[in-house]
Amino acid sequence: MSARLDATRVLLRIAFRNLVASRVRTVIIGLIVLVGALIVVVGASLMESIDRGMRTSIQGSLGGQLQVYQSTSEGQLELYGGLRGESLLDPIPDFARVKKVLSKVPNVKTIVPMGIDQALVATGNAFDVTLERLRADVRRLQANPRDGEARRGLEARQAHVRRLIALLDQDLRQAQVLADPDGRDAALRKAQRADLDRAAAPEFWPAFERDRLAGLEFLENKIAPLALDSGFTFIRYVGTDVEAFMKAFDLAEVAEGKPIPPGRRGILLGKQYAEEWLKLKNARRLDQIKDKRDRFHARIASSEELQRWVKDTRSRAREILIQLDPLQAAEAERRLRPALKAPQGEELPALLARLFDLDDANFDDHYRIFYEQLAPLLRLYQISVGDTITIKAPGKTGAFNAVNVKVYGFIQFKGIEKSGIAGTTSVMDLQSFRDLYGYVTRDKAEELAKLRAQMGATTVSREEAEAALFGGGASAPLVETTRTAAIDDASLLAGVGEKRKAAQALETRAYTQEEIDGGVALNAAILLDDPSRIRESQAAVQAAADAAGLKLKVVDWETASGMVGQFVLLLRGILVFALVVFFGVALVIINNAMVMAALQRVKEVGTMRAIGAQRRFVVAMLLVEIVAVSLVFGVAGAALGGGVVAIIRAAGGIPATTDLLFFLFSGPALLPHLGVASVAASLILVVAVAIASALYPALIAMRVTPVEAMSMED
Amino acid sequence: MSIISVRDVSKDYLLGKTQVHALRGVTLTVERGEFLSVAGPSGSGKTTLLNLIGCVDTPTTGVVEVAGRDTSRLTERALTDLRLHQIGFIFQSFNLVQVLSVFQNVEFPLLLQGGLTRAERAVRVQGLLEAVGIREYGRHRPSELSGGQRQRVAVARALVTRPALVLADEPTANLDSQTGQNIIDLMREMNRKDGTTFVFSTHDPKVMAHANAIVRIADGVVAGREPVGAMA
Ligand SMILES: Nc1ncnc2c1ncn2[C@@H]1O[C@H](COP(=O)(O)OP(=O)(O)OP(=O)(O)O)[C@@H](O)[C@H]1O
Ligand SMILES: [Mg+2]
Repeated sequence: MSARLDATRVLLRIAFRNLVASRVRTVIIGLIVLVGALIVVVGASLMESIDRGMRTSIQGSLGGQLQVYQSTSEGQLELYGGLRGESLLDPIPDFARVKKVLSKVPNVKTIVPMGIDQALVATGNAFDVTLERLRADVRRLQANPRDGEARRGLEARQAHVRRLIALLDQDLRQAQVLADPDGRDAALRKAQRADLDRAAAPEFWPAFERDRLAGLEFLENKIAPLALDSGFTFIRYVGTDVEAFMKAFDLAEVAEGKPIPPGRRGILLGKQYAEEWLKLKNARRLDQIKDKRDRFHARIASSEELQRWVKDTRSRAREILIQLDPLQAAEAERRLRPALKAPQGEELPALLARLFDLDDANFDDHYRIFYEQLAPLLRLYQISVGDTITIKAPGKTGAFNAVNVKVYGFIQFKGIEKSGIAGTTSVMDLQSFRDLYGYVTRDKAEELAKLRAQMGATTVSREEAEAALFGGGASAPLVETTRTAAIDDASLLAGVGEKRKAAQALETRAYTQEEIDGGVALNAAILLDDPSRIRESQAAVQAAADAAGLKLKVVDWETASGMVGQFVLLLRGILVFALVVFFGVALVIINNAMVMAALQRVKEVGTMRAIGAQRRFVVAMLLVEIVAVSLVFGVAGAALGGGVVAIIRAAGGIPATTDLLFFLFSGPALLPHLGVASVAASLILVVAVAIASALYPALIAMRVTPVEAMSMED
Repeated sequence: MSIISVRDVSKDYLLGKTQVHALRGVTLTVERGEFLSVAGPSGSGKTTLLNLIGCVDTPTTGVVEVAGRDTSRLTERALTDLRLHQIGFIFQSFNLVQVLSVFQNVEFPLLLQGGLTRAERAVRVQGLLEAVGIREYGRHRPSELSGGQRQRVAVARALVTRPALVLADEPTANLDSQTGQNIIDLMREMNRKDGTTFVFSTHDPKVMAHANAIVRIADGVVAGREPVGAMA
């Protein structure tokens, strides 16, 4: 025992002395090992953190641990969309049965039905909004002709509409200068021209006073559609059992508004979607500039992108002017002048130009002034909480289906609020999804058809729908149902009281759990009690589905995440590839260095063998040498790597510069976490590579015969 | 039983394309306790013979038996053990471990053997360093010593395990006559007290004079074996 110890001690001593004796070689090998350990520690920490971030993002937003979908589907499930848009999935015909069968599988906690798809949302424009307000004033005056406040409002609104008409007039004239006078649409343009001339004529408003409702009808049907900024945007939604969804996905939270009441129809718009697509462009640009300045320390003076945004903000001041009626405009002037220290009497356009004349010195002030003074007067989002919106999508049959749903609030996913991948997804009730998608269970088909007829969700042909979408609202009846907030105030329209009641009935109807479950879904998320047993549970769920004759495919969250998951796979691949290349090169270099060391030591080794050292002793001598170097420098490298990780953390992490990164990092920055595992892995790896590269030299040393030492001079 | 038995041993080296017959049919028996000198002109095969006996090389033909064991039948590991435990070898070219100090070089075989405590080893090593006259050089590296001093380290290392057989290739070649005499005296002392068998090659007649017998070797064959009566 002590003999072993003695031999080990002399082994270590010789190894150490040799290392010191050939310093250059030691340092070269050491540096290679050090850099290797550093790369592994930092790389593994980042990878591990991305893994964790992605797991949090996916499992907590849509994925759960497992996903099931119909195995007969043409495409694969891609929770966040693929290159060609949404997944081509066959619907699961009866979710209730899937739920019943899979709930019995051990470790399954919740099953959340889903239908993910894209749809079109009609967004209102300033004209619509103003006309709505005008209609409200008209109604109030009709109820009480003595209402002085309503009278003043009406006058302000009329002035506002007059201005909007003037602006429209300008736009239309510009457009018509460019248009071919004898072109295909000449007749249509002529009609539009006539309408606008009528609205802009001085006689229009006295006529309006005589028959306000008729005047409103004319403005709404003939003039408002001419407003260019009226349109549709795409919305990505997940139709789901909202109550179960909110419970199952702990990252989901209602950012504004309130949750959809249990069983009700309704939608929670993705907060980030609202920011990107529904927010007033000026406000959005200000937010973006602030974000770049605060998080990335970008400066307007030095960033071309920020300069572009500032210019954009300045040129969009008109959108604000359009929104404000004279009363509001006066209020805005009154608020902005002192805040901006503008001269008395400066008008709103000049004030806005002053406000949006942004540079690095005034940005924070002006940003605050915008939100504190101006924003409360503005409609910041094209859709507000409480609105009822019309969503359209091509159904299964190809025809467009439309549903009206109430916006209960905005939804966001904690930690990944800014991610365009999760944050742009809206959450809608399952019934509305089924209506949109055109799928119903047989026993509910009739009832739903009746309801749809009542509420005015029209099924129109694809051609008509496209004409409505892209033809600038040439088809008046359709535009009426799609004009956003008009539906909310449906009762104001003559003869639509019935419709409104029906819509309200649908809105306030609470569906039972049986009704929610008993229908189609495209896929379902499964959440497990113990997520670490995911493989086992995946097999168990698949087995249970097969046994019950359900044609289900069960995939894990990573697979279900589609391209996002593959991106991480790619990252990991790149890291592994880089490591393989690095260690391949390291192996060759260390091998060469150690071969030289072995050859230089033939005499020493031969002498030891002649004196009575066994082969294993000389092999051990070489290995101890390399292990000592790789351990010492490996630990140093790992410590340095830990330092790098700590520095990255201290600097606030690696900022997520793109939506994808935001999602992968599960937050605004990647805070790498130095795990014991990654440090241990790096040490094991570098030592293993070092030993591997010393094996051939060790073989050389082993083959040295004692006699070889004899023929050499000292 | 004789400690060394060499029968019909030949050893050929390949030098480039020509065969060098370093030994051509040597037969030699050495009894335990002998103090034997191998003499012969340079290139006659002295070192080659000692290497074969010391199990650091293998014969081309013939049998070499050491301590009753046919070396051609031993495994590499057993041969190594034999070298470690039975034989002490003083190489003509010293062969010290450069990265170890003088003390550590001498201690090295003891460490490989194991079994002695640190204190026991220190006593043994110090005693030998003193006996060969380099006590004060224990901490030095071999590269800091003269040729003669290195040779004395090599002697001390060969004797430190108190082997049954000591092979010495020109042990006094680099020493002044006084030191050479001391070394020979030391070896004789061990020979007398412990019965250690010594086989050494030398050109030096004064050294030969201490031997029991002289084996004369010339051009790879044993020319004769003669006792040295005067000193017996
Ligand atoms: N490794 C070797 N390769 C080739 N030839 C060798 C080798 N070792 C020895 N010889 C040759 O074998 C012969 C005997 O050499 P050896 O070293 O045994 O002689 P020696 O008697 O010890 O000489 P010296 O007194 O000079 O030490 C010489 O001709 C020598 O050239
Ligand atoms: Mg010789």
